[in-house]
Amino acid sequence: MGLNVIVTVLLNGFAMGMIYALIAMGVILLIRAIGVLNFAQGDLLMVGAYITYALQVDMKLPLWLMIPVALLCFAAVALIFMFSIYWPLRNASYPAAIIIATMGASIVIKEIVMLIWGGLPLRMPPLFSNPETGGGRLLTIGSVNLQWQLIITGLVGAAAIGVVFFLFEHLYAGKMLQAASQDKFAAELIGIPTVITTAATYIISISLACIGGYMVGPIFTVSVTLGNLLLRAFAGVIIGGLGNIKGAIIGSLIVGIIEAFASVRISTYKDAVIFLVLLVFLVVRPQGIFGEKIQDKA
Amino acid sequence: MKIKKNLSKLFILLSCILFIVIVPMFFEGYSLMVINLSLIYAIITLGISVMLGMGGQLSFAGLAFMGFGAYFVANFCSGRLGFTIPTLLALVLAPLFCGIVAFLLGLILLKLKGTYFTFATIALVQVCFSFFTNYRPLFGGPDGISEIPSLSVGSFTFSSYNQWFYLSVGILAAVAIVVERIRRTSFGRSLASVRDNDMAALTLGVNVYMSKVKAFALSGVLGALAGAMYAMQGNFVASDLFAYNNATQFIIMAMVGGVNNTFGCIVGSVLITILPEIFRSLERFLQLFYGLAVIVLMVFMPMGMAGVGSQFAKKIKKILGINKLKRSANSTHSKGVSK
Repeated sequence: MGLNVIVTVLLNGFAMGMIYALIAMGVILLIRAIGVLNFAQGDLLMVGAYITYALQVDMKLPLWLMIPVALLCFAAVALIFMFSIYWPLRNASYPAAIIIATMGASIVIKEIVMLIWGGLPLRMPPLFSNPETGGGRLLTIGSVNLQWQLIITGLVGAAAIGVVFFLFEHLYAGKMLQAASQDKFAAELIGIPTVITTAATYIISISLACIGGYMVGPIFTVSVTLGNLLLRAFAGVIIGGLGNIKGAIIGSLIVGIIEAFASVRISTYKDAVIFLVLLVFLVVRPQGIFGEKIQDKA
Repeated sequence: MKIKKNLSKLFILLSCILFIVIVPMFFEGYSLMVINLSLIYAIITLGISVMLGMGGQLSFAGLAFMGFGAYFVANFCSGRLGFTIPTLLALVLAPLFCGIVAFLLGLILLKLKGTYFTFATIALVQVCFSFFTNYRPLFGGPDGISEIPSLSVGSFTFSSYNQWFYLSVGILAAVAIVVERIRRTSFGRSLASVRDNDMAALTLGVNVYMSKVKAFALSGVLGALAGAMYAMQGNFVASDLFAYNNATQFIIMAMVGGVNNTFGCIVGSVLITILPEIFRSLERFLQLFYGLAVIVLMVFMPMGMAGVGSQFAKKIKKILGINKLKRSANSTHSKGVSK
């Protein structure tokens, strides 16, 4: 492999890893806050891709208007999702019921999207497109050509994750969210409205996935199969460290990079390679790279 | 308590007999095959019931073990390895082999707890699927493996769907009785204690880890048995059955029927396999309604149809005035999952 190939593959892996990290972070936020494993997170990413497709290509909104409208739509999707799937089941006698409901939601979301936009994959123009060819613009450094879309994906992903970290660690609102996720009952006693914190957690978590969808749309095509990215994010969650958000982000990046190199060498088995690495991690270091002890709040 | 138990037993027995008598009279060909499949799926669902209902561990691995069982039979019985073994022997060996594999895998995977164990079983399904689709020497690649002989005992071969129906009912009944029996053994009770509170179980001297591993091995055995039957009935195995999306289907079957109820699991898998065939005319809305139904079912009856059934039975008893004194003693049993 020449330098060109290695750098391109690394960038590709890093960008995809960022997408997985966005999903993984959302999944972990939900597990920590309400103890629910959300099987529809990947499909919500797909919804994000379709929403931005509708705004950008169908309605032709300019970028400065599109971003706030898209964010509002993401929040609306999150609230609809929360009040239809989580809220009726929050006091369910059997915790697995919510998880099954999210599986049902995953099917429903796929089908609704197919009914609205049809089953065919849609082509979404990249953020910096080359006006002559319509393809993505390249950044050329020396002999290395890099796609702008991948670079932007990495940057936007990092920025989104950074904003959430800032919110959780430095702002009063973030501390409220953390308190509510650690002990709902005690948080209510000291006057934190857990309805609002739960809704906020859902909005943050699902917006992260939807932003990932916006970024990944031009890299692949916008189609229903985007929902399957969820499985890679799951792998990243375990490799990084259980319940540890920083670990999950790094784990997701590792998964992305392994995947990128695996698809150069042995593309038919690239799924198997990722998950075999995962199983090896389970044997050798079940607590993940950054996990200290195995625990589960769910 | 005795009356209630006998009543529900009688109900189950009667409906089973009715099912066995009526189905072969009215159905044949494709529809009977779908019913047979639903019975085979019910065996996997019972494996999930052992893991999730008794042990509280959400596991997707049943489908991977079904794949192992199916490809075990496919390799050893179709003669593609250069030799064949009797189909009856394969039907016994496949679950045994997968039980050992599941036990060893369980030793590794069950070091993880709760949600993370679920992640790991998803990984297992994904790895298996990708090898099933791509590795030709053992799994036939995307074309699958065909010409698998049907089960034969001595000189008698199960060839028609009708014969397979009776065979599937028989095996399913045997499995159901075993699972129902396990609920009442110390193993079943220790699993239930792990599900309800593993810390308390630990202080009572239950080996939490090993109970889970044993349950995982059992679900592997049941999955492989179903896989072997699937391969022999259809005479063909292809990898697309073993994709992750189908794994959620089995969990949904178990939850819809009632995850902690043997009969409920069987009803759930029969309904979920057959209903889409009945409502074929809905076409593109079929999956949408299916998903919506799953959500609505979980909202209104999280314990599945079996939970509704037991509530209904309680109401009837209240009206009849039976068993007023013993209800409090009985409730710990019939409530099933308390948390």
